[in-house]
Formats: sequence, C-alpha cells, structure tokens
Amino acid sequence: MNPFELAEPRSLKAALKLLDAGDESVRVFGGGTALMLMMKAGVFQPTRLISLRGVESRYARVTAAKDGSLHIGALTTLTTLGRAAAVRSKAPVIAGTLQTLSNVRVRNVATLGGHLAHADPHMDLPPVLIALDAQVVTAATAGLRTLAVADLFTGYYETALARNELISEVIVPAQTGRRSAYVKLTTRAADDWPTLGIAVSLQTDGRVIEDARFVVGAATEKPLRLPSVEAVLRGATADDAVLARAGEAAAAAAELVGDARGSAAYKTELLRVYAGRAVRKALAA
Amino acid sequence: MNVTKMSMSTTHKNISFQLNGRPATAHAGNHQNLVELLQGQGLFGARESCGQGLCGCCTVVVNGTAVSGCLTMATLVDGADVRTIEDSADGQLDAVQRAFIDTGAFQCGFCTPGFILMTRQLLEEHPDPTDDEIRHYLAGNLCRCAAYTEIIKAVRLAAQKRKE
Repeated sequence: MNPFELAEPRSLKAALKLLDAGDESVRVFGGGTALMLMMKAGVFQPTRLISLRGVESRYARVTAAKDGSLHIGALTTLTTLGRAAAVRSKAPVIAGTLQTLSNVRVRNVATLGGHLAHADPHMDLPPVLIALDAQVVTAATAGLRTLAVADLFTGYYETALARNELISEVIVPAQTGRRSAYVKLTTRAADDWPTLGIAVSLQTDGRVIEDARFVVGAATEKPLRLPSVEAVLRGATADDAVLARAGEAAAAAAELVGDARGSAAYKTELLRVYAGRAVRKALAA
Repeated sequence: MNVTKMSMSTTHKNISFQLNGRPATAHAGNHQNLVELLQGQGLFGARESCGQGLCGCCTVVVNGTAVSGCLTMATLVDGADVRTIEDSADGQLDAVQRAFIDTGAFQCGFCTPGFILMTRQLLEEHPDPTDDEIRHYLAGNLCRCAAYTEIIKAVRLAAQKRKE
C-alpha cells in the first residue's frame, strides 16, 4: 500500500469540508474493511482518507420513530445494528441477515453507510433494504437529500453519490402488515459471499398477497427488483402453482451474471427454485 | 494531489496507546496495518494469514472489541487499549487456553491465538453457548489442520470451567 494522508474529523460538517468534488483519490470511510481490501489489491490508491469514526455519536445510533420507522445512523456498526432491540422488533429480517454476513470482527467495525456506499453487488443488505423500501439520507456541504436505496445503486460498484457527498442515515419505513425474508445461497461456508441473494417483502393478510417486492442480489451488476415476479404474486395466494409461476417469471426476467461462486446458468436455476421458497419464508416470518 | 509531494509529516504519525496494559509508542504510517504495528513492538502472536479478514489469525482486541488486525489501519489505534494473545496479567494460562490444551484443539497452532481471543469474546457474550452459537461466532476463524471438532469441545469445556 502507498502512503496517504489520514484525517479524523470530529464532526460530519468537518468531514464534508475535507471531501473534494473533483478528486476521486479522496474518500471517507467508516470501518474501512472494504477499503483496506481495495487498497491491498491495488485497485484503489488514495491520497487522503477521511475516517468518520470520530464524528458525532448520533450518526452511530439506531432509533425508532413514533410512526414505527427506523432511523439508522450511517456509522452504526453491523454488530450494533444486529443487536438493536428496535431492529429486531421492527425489521427482524435485517437482524437475521446479519447473522451470516461476513464475521464477528468485520461486523464489529463495518458500518451500514459503508456497506451501502461500497456498492459491491454481492452485499447482503442492499436487496433486503430495497425490499423494505428503505431510503438513504445523504449529506453534502450544499445540504441533505433523500433517495430510495434502490436508486442509490447505479451500476457495478457505482452509486448516485457525488464525490463530495456521503450517506448520513438510513430510514426503514414502518413495516406494518408486511412480512419479509432474505434467502442467502452460498456454495461454500454459510457466511461466505452469496452466490445468490433473494429478498422478499409481502403485504399480506396471511393468505392473499396484496403487494410484493422481490429483489435479487449477488448475481447482477446491482440489486435488481423483478416487477414481473411481483405481478405474479400480487393478488394471489401462495399455492404451489403460483410459486412455480413466480420462479419461472424470475428465471425469465433476470439476466444473471456468473462469477467464482456459480455460473449464470446455475444461478438462474437457483433463482427458479428458490423464488418460491423465499416467498414461503416471508409468509412464515 | 500527487502522492510524491506528500511529506512524512502527513502520511505518518507518532501514536501512543496501551499495549497489553502497558504504555507503548510508535511512529507509524497510515498505510500500515495493526499487525505490522504489533510486529514492530516485538509481538508476533497476531499473524497476517489470509490478509482479507476471513481467517481470524490476526485477531486483536481494541477497546474491548475484536477486530481483524490486517484490516485495521495502524494509526487508528492512537489512544486505544490494545490487547493481543501475549496479554497475561499474571503469566498464567486462562481457562480458555487450558481448555484448548486439554482437548487438543490444535495441531500446528498457527490459528490458535485468534481462536483463543475470539472464544474469550464469545464467552463474554454467551457464557453458556449452544453449539450453534459457537459455530456462528467462530465462523470467521479458519483452522487449516481442521481441529474444529476439538475446538468446539474446548469452547464447551472453557465455558464449564469458567463457571466453576
């Protein structure tokens, strides 16, 4: 790794001032785990890094609002997120997903904001947060803006964030009447990077699916919602025939990409089979 | 900004921290990792093995939290409490270390420091862990001699001994 400057600002405002809209070799980081890997591999050579660990502690907290929504500071570590009582009660699918996401040491330092901003398409939480219809609040010296997590990702390791902008908060809306699940399929250890991830969130009375969000991760250049699958599920009861049609629709709609953890054909077959199982898991949640 | 124009004063830092209960100082580069910093202090129990935070051989406890030393920037431990496998208040082995010896939970021993440190963390959080909790908690530690069966026995034994 090459030498670089390292700043440790005490406030988010100070951190924003250190960013440079025209210089991609200047970056902020939370836990720094993904960044260290990129630097070690030589794919990223910074001139200046800005640690966000010293900014105001309110950016590292989870709070539940009166309307049932969760407000998660971007610097919240994945360990804190998984243990938070509010998360476990309002969005248990997040806590469940964290159990096999990387390992204890990485979760101890990695932050939710970093997890999203890194935009590695193999991350587990982006499809889950998209299924939950979560939003990110971003901060820049010009002010704040809010966008859907689904719109944060623009491509392979690419986001809608400007170089002088960072994620300050993630908002998960109230999940009243919704049941959600994440199915993580791995070809090696259970806590490995996923070969395929499927996140499902259903609005249901327990029998009829009134609304569905169906998101695929780890097999596309960015997390992908599949409207054709959602259309099959909407208004239906989840019997074998409907779930089989959902699987066929998913396999037909998604143009999956192969990698070291499975070929495109294999992942497509996994999607065909597991689409229905993911819906069943959500209904049972 | 050009890398060659940066001076040592911005890329390196004099840091001071507590190392296994004793004050330590170092002149470290921001690009160095915590394992390299510890090696400079003459401590070799934290080993950089996979270099990707997957294997647990580089486990270090910083301010009471287990981290991967290979993914931790050295200068970020300025002011922190750093504990490694060499930490021992009284020079005696603790219940976890004795349990690993008693069950034969290693062959070559390369991964053992990381397993010991993570097991201590596990037992702090789950004093009476189920096998499922043990497997999930230690999933980020790899033993290439594959002593996993004995390691799980060692964790159970350590949990029991700690209660006695």
